[in-house]
Amino acid sequence: MAERIETMVPGNVWKVLVKPGDKVSPGDVLFILEVMKTEVPHTSEQGGTVKAVHIVEAQEGVDAGMLAVEID
Amino acid sequence: MFDVIQPGLETSIQDYPGRIGFWNQGFPPSGPMDSWSFRLANLLVGNPVGAAGLEAQYMGPTLKFSRDGVIAICGADMQAKLDGQPAPLWESIAVKSGQTLAMSAAKQGVRAYIAFAGGIDTPPWLGSRSTFHKAGVGGMEGHALKPGQSIPVAAGQGAAGAGTAGRKVKPEARPRFPSDKTWSIEVVAGPNDDWIDEAGQQRFLSSDWKLSAKSDRTGFRLDGPQWTFTEKAYKKAPENGAEPSNIIDHGYPLGAINLAGQTPIILVNDGPSMGGFINPYTVPSAAFWKLGQSKPGDIYRFKAISVDEAQAQRLALNAICQNSNIV
Repeated sequence: MAERIETMVPGNVWKVLVKPGDKVSPGDVLFILEVMKTEVPHTSEQGGTVKAVHIVEAQEGVDAGMLAVEID
Repeated sequence: MFDVIQPGLETSIQDYPGRIGFWNQGFPPSGPMDSWSFRLANLLVGNPVGAAGLEAQYMGPTLKFSRDGVIAICGADMQAKLDGQPAPLWESIAVKSGQTLAMSAAKQGVRAYIAFAGGIDTPPWLGSRSTFHKAGVGGMEGHALKPGQSIPVAAGQGAAGAGTAGRKVKPEARPRFPSDKTWSIEVVAGPNDDWIDEAGQQRFLSSDWKLSAKSDRTGFRLDGPQWTFTEKAYKKAPENGAEPSNIIDHGYPLGAINLAGQTPIILVNDGPSMGGFINPYTVPSAAFWKLGQSKPGDIYRFKAISVDEAQAQRLALNAICQNSNIV
């Protein structure tokens, strides 16, 4: 079952912790956004293999609701 | 009374107008950034406009009620659900003990306000329940909500105080958020506008300024063009400091557009009361709700108004936040 993780808040990309091909478990943190000088971790609900990552570290001004990581 | 299941992103207890009267000792007013939505939420549940409620930012909390009551949510749309059923904005809602209010990401706007009939009843500090987390005072143990906390809510007084479900804010009395990510923000010149040259002042008022993600309840950081200065900024005693925007430490007005080198930062509800940078312009309080509802990447266009106009706008906003606009 494919999973699409979207950004929950607008802000900057602080850390990207996965790359395509990585295996992730449910609850693993995939990437961390920064807004209001606060870290906002984004996790995988289902786990699987990372198919695509659409954000890069230090990217500024991402919007909320943007497709960030796809997992197969 | 309610329990915090998930706190959301820096969700805090605030009251209006906040902690007033201690600015000279370094304590900012705190309080809700969008006091328009905040006051309407209180009116919906039968509270005085200033009663303590919650300010949620970007990502709302999940709360479980441990007593029957009436609540209202105003401001940003965080897709609130009460036991899985969509909960309306701008309307008072009956909640039962054991029910869960779950809010998620803000779809429109940034800050949502949750008012509880009776008002949150944490101990006031220097006359206010507003959270000022940098000093660890006010609110719940001085900081944003944490999972597992039980937040006390006072019993409403009389029939009106217990709250009535189904009351609504008239549509024309609600703040409107722009659909094109562009906000017109009023400014009053000064206190240090004479440090900026004519070209610099024109540039400030005619340029697009982009709100940075490095903005919080202390300051709103803006990206835009370079500033240029008058001779005053260069021909000054060395104790003012080396940068053109440096000045001998002085008091800052709330809403000051504080020029740190070339970066303007609007000092907002939890901001500093003094420092060594100039403040060429000041955002009046009636425009603060727009700051509170704008997202990183949004564009500000500044519009110069007089002190009289700023005061008239404040009075106009006060006139909107009245029971006559609740039906």
